[in-house]
Amino acid sequence: MGLKVKIDKISRKKIPGSSIIYIPSGKYLKFATFGYSSLLADLIYLWSIQYYSDYSVVDRFKYLDHIFSVIAELDHRYLDPYQIGALIALYEARDLDLALKILDRGLEKNPNQWIFPLEAGHYAQMAKKDYKLAQKYYKKAMEIKGAPPITKRLYANASFKLTDYKTAFETWQEIYKTTEEERIKKIASNHLFQVKAAIDIKTIFEAIEKFREIYDRNPVDLSQLVKAGLLDSLPKDLDGQDYHYDSKTGEVKTQTIPWKR
Amino acid sequence: MAAAVKIEDLHKSFKVGFIPKTKKILRGISMTIEEGEIFGYLGPNGAGKTTTLKCILGLIFPEKGNIEIFGYPYLSLRAKERVGYLPENPYFYDYLTASEFLHFYSQLSLIKKKEKEEKIHRFLRLVGLEESANLQLRKFSRGMLQRIGLAQALIHDPSLVFLDEPLGGLDPLGRKEIRDIIVRLKEEGKTVFLCSHILQDIEMICDRVAIIVKGEIINQGQLQDLISEKIHFTEIILSGVESKELEGVGESVSALGGKILLKVIEEEKIETVLRIVQSRNGRIHSLIPRTETLEDLFVGMVKQG
Amino acid sequence: MKIRAIAFNTFKEAIRDRILYLLLFFAAACIIFSRLLALLTVGDRVKIIMDVGLASLSLFGAMMAILMGTGLVYKEIDKKTIYTLLSKPIHRYQFLLGKYFGLILTLFIMLFFMSFIFLTLVFLHTFRIEWELLIAIFYIFVEVCLLTAVAMLFSCFSTPILSSIFSLSFYLIGHLSWGLENSIDKMKPGIAKTLTQILYAFIPDLENFNFKTEVVHHLPIPSEIFLFSVLYGIFYSLFLLFLAILVFRKRDFI
Repeated sequence: MGLKVKIDKISRKKIPGSSIIYIPSGKYLKFATFGYSSLLADLIYLWSIQYYSDYSVVDRFKYLDHIFSVIAELDHRYLDPYQIGALIALYEARDLDLALKILDRGLEKNPNQWIFPLEAGHYAQMAKKDYKLAQKYYKKAMEIKGAPPITKRLYANASFKLTDYKTAFETWQEIYKTTEEERIKKIASNHLFQVKAAIDIKTIFEAIEKFREIYDRNPVDLSQLVKAGLLDSLPKDLDGQDYHYDSKTGEVKTQTIPWKR
Repeated sequence: MAAAVKIEDLHKSFKVGFIPKTKKILRGISMTIEEGEIFGYLGPNGAGKTTTLKCILGLIFPEKGNIEIFGYPYLSLRAKERVGYLPENPYFYDYLTASEFLHFYSQLSLIKKKEKEEKIHRFLRLVGLEESANLQLRKFSRGMLQRIGLAQALIHDPSLVFLDEPLGGLDPLGRKEIRDIIVRLKEEGKTVFLCSHILQDIEMICDRVAIIVKGEIINQGQLQDLISEKIHFTEIILSGVESKELEGVGESVSALGGKILLKVIEEEKIETVLRIVQSRNGRIHSLIPRTETLEDLFVGMVKQG
Repeated sequence: MKIRAIAFNTFKEAIRDRILYLLLFFAAACIIFSRLLALLTVGDRVKIIMDVGLASLSLFGAMMAILMGTGLVYKEIDKKTIYTLLSKPIHRYQFLLGKYFGLILTLFIMLFFMSFIFLTLVFLHTFRIEWELLIAIFYIFVEVCLLTAVAMLFSCFSTPILSSIFSLSFYLIGHLSWGLENSIDKMKPGIAKTLTQILYAFIPDLENFNFKTEVVHHLPIPSEIFLFSVLYGIFYSLFLLFLAILVFRKRDFI
């Protein structure tokens, strides 16, 4: 009995199945499996889940890309591995590029799966606040049939963060028009309010800048900008209210906070 | 009478061994078996008996020669319908029962469905296996297998029956029964071709024989023509006389318990022996003249070959 | 009919063969094991069960075909039960066909049981009858019929061990057929290339019968392939049987 326990301890040091690392890649892999390629993909995937849960293996991420590319080659339509591979890459290996690479591959082989670009955008946004990349991914996801409505909202949001106000505004408008849920309508309208405000405030700021150049001081109130001919008219927020202006600091704000409307 | 089987100049060789060497088994066999007779085919082991038989049955293909069965080409279905075969040391599907086994074989011959049951029953009775009708063949003894094999060979009422060592492995009672069946077949007008080692049985029932040695037929013909009726010697069992006194008269074969077995070749010497015994007040226990047996002929021919 | 008589007799004999039940046991064990295996996965569990199940059916079906097929004719010759059979008024080809159909029937029944266990397990997971799986199983059966013909052909002139090795190689190469095609293009002309080309021409592309992946992923299968594969399977099997008959016709049974 004691011997068995001892033996168990010894064998745990050796990583079972580590020879998988030596499976060659290449398009011939699939044919070497004699028609059982999807089963093999399953088995490797199962193995990899166990492998990556074993924290004692310190350099287990070295072959992460290779292993998951092998799984993809064997059964490129097996969807779970792409997601889980990317998950492991991001959260455990802290390698965003690899995660995105895996998800890209998933989309390439399965163009009708919106989940991949959606996750990719999500990861890009979360891990690196790379809104440009996120926006690109969300757009891809949006265009795939069956993508959930939230995709569009995330796209709009990312655009906003990128100060691509035009796209953001148009998208929020689309959302507002097409949604049937009251809740979403409210959200959309709040965002529209916010985007419009951002656009308007930007315009106003530009005008204030020009005013300062000419008159070397902040305007007393916003109507001065109109009088000076720097603005055609004073923009109002979505609800038709004026923007609040603080002449001392030169700040322009909305009167209401978008979310408290 | 028409010939049941006509064999002309049959040759067959086999390739033996890893580096194939040709071994010639049959070197020009020619025989005719007449309809309605019991034909015996004898020879020492390895002479080619079974090979000849398999050639006739289409299990082996000869390289040269011609075979006809009842005038038909020997491989045609018409020929095969009239032929029954019992191989040496028969082995059958052991998971079948006796009646299932006969049922299967009757399906392969052209026995009509209605007649099947009746025939199976009849032949099981003929070979003495009625009680074992539902017993699996795996439980059969050697003798029983031999009998069921015979039943299978006869069930479709063939005109020509080939039997390869049918009496092997049977007890004396069994041998008698099979012999009787074979004789009855002849009475029914069938032709029987018999391969055997047991010369006494051949001698008892065969009309014609052929002897094959090393792939050639060295003798064939009517049994009575081959074995002369001439008396070879006489065996006398006597007692009460010393062996010394019998020297010159006959050959003392054995002496046990006071009795002497004497072999006297010349007929005249028999009287001499009788006189000696009488004068010594001895006893004659038996006096048997021996004619040439098939065994003698056989051994003689084989030694020559 | 004589072929039918032999077929049923073969079936009765084959169904008693313990190897069959051993393989059936392993197949069932694999299928049930897949249930456990499925617990280890993150994500779609049914896929694992379906993949393992179909692979088991395919693999064990192939093994049954090969192991039983290679003994089919050899056993009769070895045990000398063939002597009395062939002396009866039947053609040799009737004997061969009878053995073949008898074994096919046996394999069909075995496959049926395996499929039943498999489909029941899948049903317990999805609460739906997955008809598409039957398509994959049907083609596994077609492949098995072809493999049986191969095994039987080898059985006519070779010992069971050699026949099994040949048949297995046939199976493996058959699945590599596509890869062979690619390799041929890349090879330099010469003996090796010619040999490979001959190999490719003769050995059938067994991937034609492999619909496992498509079925598991619910992909549409073009309807021409259905018909084509079945016909391919039937014709190739007939071709093999024809070869077997040719070999068998002139064979001496010492």
